Amino acid sequence: MPQPEYDVVIIGAGPAGSTTARFTAAAGLRTLLVDKRQELGAPIQCSGAISRHALEDVGIVPDDEFIHEAIYGFAIYDQTGERHVHDYRSLKPDEYGSGPGRKPLGYVVDRRRFDRYLLTQAERAGADTWLKTEGRGYTPTDDGGCTVHLRRYNQDIDVRARLLVGADGLQSQVGKWAGLQTHIKITELAGCLQFIVDRVETEGLLEIVTGHEWAPGGYAWVFPKGHGYAEIGLGVIATMTDKPARWHLDKFMTQSFFRERFADCRILEVQGGGVPLAAPLRTQYADNLILVGDAARHVNPITGGGLHTAVAGGKIAAGFITGHLEDGMPLRDGALRAYQDVWLDALGDKMWKLYGIKTDIFHNMNIRERDEQLYATMADYFSPTSEFKKI
Amino acid sequence: MSKQQPVLFNIGWNACINCGACVAICPQEAGFVSPFDTIAVDRPCDIACLLCEQICPVDTITHVPAPAPATQNGAGVR
Repeated sequence: MPQPEYDVVIIGAGPAGSTTARFTAAAGLRTLLVDKRQELGAPIQCSGAISRHALEDVGIVPDDEFIHEAIYGFAIYDQTGERHVHDYRSLKPDEYGSGPGRKPLGYVVDRRRFDRYLLTQAERAGADTWLKTEGRGYTPTDDGGCTVHLRRYNQDIDVRARLLVGADGLQSQVGKWAGLQTHIKITELAGCLQFIVDRVETEGLLEIVTGHEWAPGGYAWVFPKGHGYAEIGLGVIATMTDKPARWHLDKFMTQSFFRERFADCRILEVQGGGVPLAAPLRTQYADNLILVGDAARHVNPITGGGLHTAVAGGKIAAGFITGHLEDGMPLRDGALRAYQDVWLDALGDKMWKLYGIKTDIFHNMNIRERDEQLYATMADYFSPTSEFKKI
Repeated sequence: MSKQQPVLFNIGWNACINCGACVAICPQEAGFVSPFDTIAVDRPCDIACLLCEQICPVDTITHVPAPAPATQNGAGVR
């Protein structure tokens, strides 16, 4: 059997990989999207919040298939329960709301359905999509392309490609194949845990609770999850506590100012993950290879949000790839640095700036001052006047 | 050379939520991963930085000293 041939092979069918695939396939590139899992989106490692404009910017129509609940604003709390509310239903009542002609600010999505939906869109745009297919390595070849080594249902398959895209998440192995520096510091990876719960009321807002007392190094959250469910979670930095996230979540639920609100709650799901509160990777390309999404650490270092940055990054990557391959540009010797430059310009420079702000806060060893800074920064970040509104 | 002795990790699967944080923090160069997307538990870790134990949200990774490697003549180091 001749080796299958593609222009682009994408490893990892999360939001970044599937968005990249949708756009490269739509542009007419022969695209293969692979994922080792049998069910996308799972195990869920994400709260699922994404703004409406982030979806619309990449041509994803908000659809009941994947939306848990519409969001209309934010409530940011300090450690005592004082709060700033940015409810866009009252800030801009002509624009935001649930009534006719009004729209939500964003959504909490079901990651299983969302990821599958994005894969479907990629497939309908013309991409080949293979599940149960693991990337094992790649080898640049003399013709300027590369061979990608895959394993599908226990069978080894080599595929020819011009370009490989690593969209394999925070635990990315693809970057390591090329020897890229992907290691993240323990001080910059938040250990996160969240429960999907019943019997906790929410009000269409993303609620964010700051304070070292509840989430050292990170923050806690309460998000609406649709059908009367909510999501309660937090992330902590391991070097700022000697207890695991689970201990802190327990404490937050039973001892914080929300203890009565949570008193009757029932846990329906347990989810967790590592969330990078870090800078983007300094080098996101190698010979015949670029990285996108969590694999390139395209994650907002203040909020830990990675969905918007993943789909936006996927569109940027696909736009770059399409032009670059159509023009027959080189794929070696640093030529793909151009991708990173495009990304920095569109998104990355702002993320570096956010990283600077975040680092300044957490370098302050005075806990009271740091709590105040984080509370003020978060309250400002989600305000309608924030310069970072679009990240 | 690291002062740390190699260790063998044990994962309490009952508490593991398969979140992958241990793999994300692991500084091993490549592939210190189990088929279940956790750090490897079937071979010794020479770095023994124990960051995976620190990051685990549900505190379910522990370790024991790795069994001494076989010497050239096949006998274990005592």
